[in-house]
Amino acid sequence: MPTPKVKAADFFLPFGRIGKSAAGILLAGELILALVAWQLSGGGLLPTPSRVLTSMTKILSESYFFDNFFSTLGLVLQAMGLSIVIAMVVSYLYLIPVFTPIARFIMKCRYLTLTGLIFLFTLLTSNGHSLKISLLIFGIVPFFVTSLVSVIDSIDKAEFELCKSLRMTNWEAWWEVVILGQLDQVFEVMRQNFAISWIMITMVEGLNMSEGGLGAMLIKSNKYIDLGSVFGILVIIFFIGVCSDYLLGMLRKWFFPYTTFNTRN
Amino acid sequence: MLDYKKEKLLLKASNINLKYDTRQILRDVNFEIFNVTRPDVIQGQVISLIGRSGIGKTQLFKILSGLIQPTSGTVLIGEEQRPVVAGEVGVIPQNYILFKHRTIYNNLKIGLANSGRKLSENEAKDIIEDHAKQFDLQDHLKKFPAQLSGGQRQRVSILQQVLTGNKFILLDEPFSGLDPIVKDKVDELLMKVSHLNEENTLIIVSHDIINTLALSDTAFILAQEPGKEGATITEVVDLMAMGYAWRPGIKADHTFLDLVLNIKSKL
Repeated sequence: MPTPKVKAADFFLPFGRIGKSAAGILLAGELILALVAWQLSGGGLLPTPSRVLTSMTKILSESYFFDNFFSTLGLVLQAMGLSIVIAMVVSYLYLIPVFTPIARFIMKCRYLTLTGLIFLFTLLTSNGHSLKISLLIFGIVPFFVTSLVSVIDSIDKAEFELCKSLRMTNWEAWWEVVILGQLDQVFEVMRQNFAISWIMITMVEGLNMSEGGLGAMLIKSNKYIDLGSVFGILVIIFFIGVCSDYLLGMLRKWFFPYTTFNTRN
Repeated sequence: MLDYKKEKLLLKASNINLKYDTRQILRDVNFEIFNVTRPDVIQGQVISLIGRSGIGKTQLFKILSGLIQPTSGTVLIGEEQRPVVAGEVGVIPQNYILFKHRTIYNNLKIGLANSGRKLSENEAKDIIEDHAKQFDLQDHLKKFPAQLSGGQRQRVSILQQVLTGNKFILLDEPFSGLDPIVKDKVDELLMKVSHLNEENTLIIVSHDIINTLALSDTAFILAQEPGKEGATITEVVDLMAMGYAWRPGIKADHTFLDLVLNIKSKL
């Protein structure tokens, strides 16, 4: 089928269809414009893209960067893994009346600030690493549970009725519809919330800098007002986050191929 | 005249009332379904519950399948006339719900697995493949529900319930949103299910009068009586006694079309 010609007006219309190649050109064009605007407006306190690029190259060529990077990655993966397990258990139990208030309370913990609880967590944990993991879990789990419970709440009631009509017990229906049926959504929630943990990690690493990490690097550079390095690290963190997001998206398609099909009428 | 006999009672709905708060949805719904036999023909029953949209058909559908309990009244099924329990009546909802994370084969397998029959993996595979062939689904067993058209999903949904072993199958608006050619295919499919077993009883809940009546042997009209709140059975149409049942091409018969118009005026 021939590709329809893209008109300039399509770029400005709501629901305008511009095709993949035009979208790619648009993205590249806007990126270049943003960089040019940044380059032209920088030079004072704000480092220019060329200065950030120089800093990034320097940071990436230092061996300590990789030590810090792996320290951060290890911490985030450990915290994410534990948070997912805790959030899944809490969310799956949410449909059992006795556990519902607990799940609801954990969801509301999104409104608690971590800063006020640092002292309590310091008393409760034995070392800096445990402190960071505990804070991350405490910060991530309420967001995870909120998203997962929202997925569970949006399940079509007819799916449970189908289970009943197929003579399944309540536990079997729960397993089939809530656990197996929503695994792809759990993965999606995990992908979306990975960004939260990635943002929180830099803050938490600042609390205990002995293990290093990208957060510790960022704080040190801030302290010496080395804004070229600060922006360099920020850009690196941003790219790692974007790549992880893409990777998790690909893994979801691979593990759950049915999510790639649009339901036909 | 058609040669048939009404034999044992298969389903009895007695004094079904359904209220939500003070709103009466269903009022004193009473009807009976009998096993109809014909000489030299293995054929189940096709019953229709016809009513306007929003009259309470779906609520009655859920009560008949044991998915919800009425405010008062009973639904008794089987030869021993026991109260209906969810799982004894197959349900085909309007949007043909299937397990989206399972392939068609595994969707059918889960139906068979809950049939109470002890089968080896190979026996189950043979049964599924055999039925899939009968329902023209043999090329779709490895696909996921989202890859199938609405008509194909409907066939899987019906077959899933057939494999569960339910003799009663309730269908909610099976003709909804289908074009005339596909509607004819649904007719054929439902007749096929009906012919699988003498006691198979299809209960079609619909507002599509012509297509539903053309398939049925008995129709119950669900409507509101003047001045009374809540829908009830206002008329029983015995299509067998009228000579309209089991007649292919009945949709073109002008006396049948008059009957359709007559029923339409009463809804």
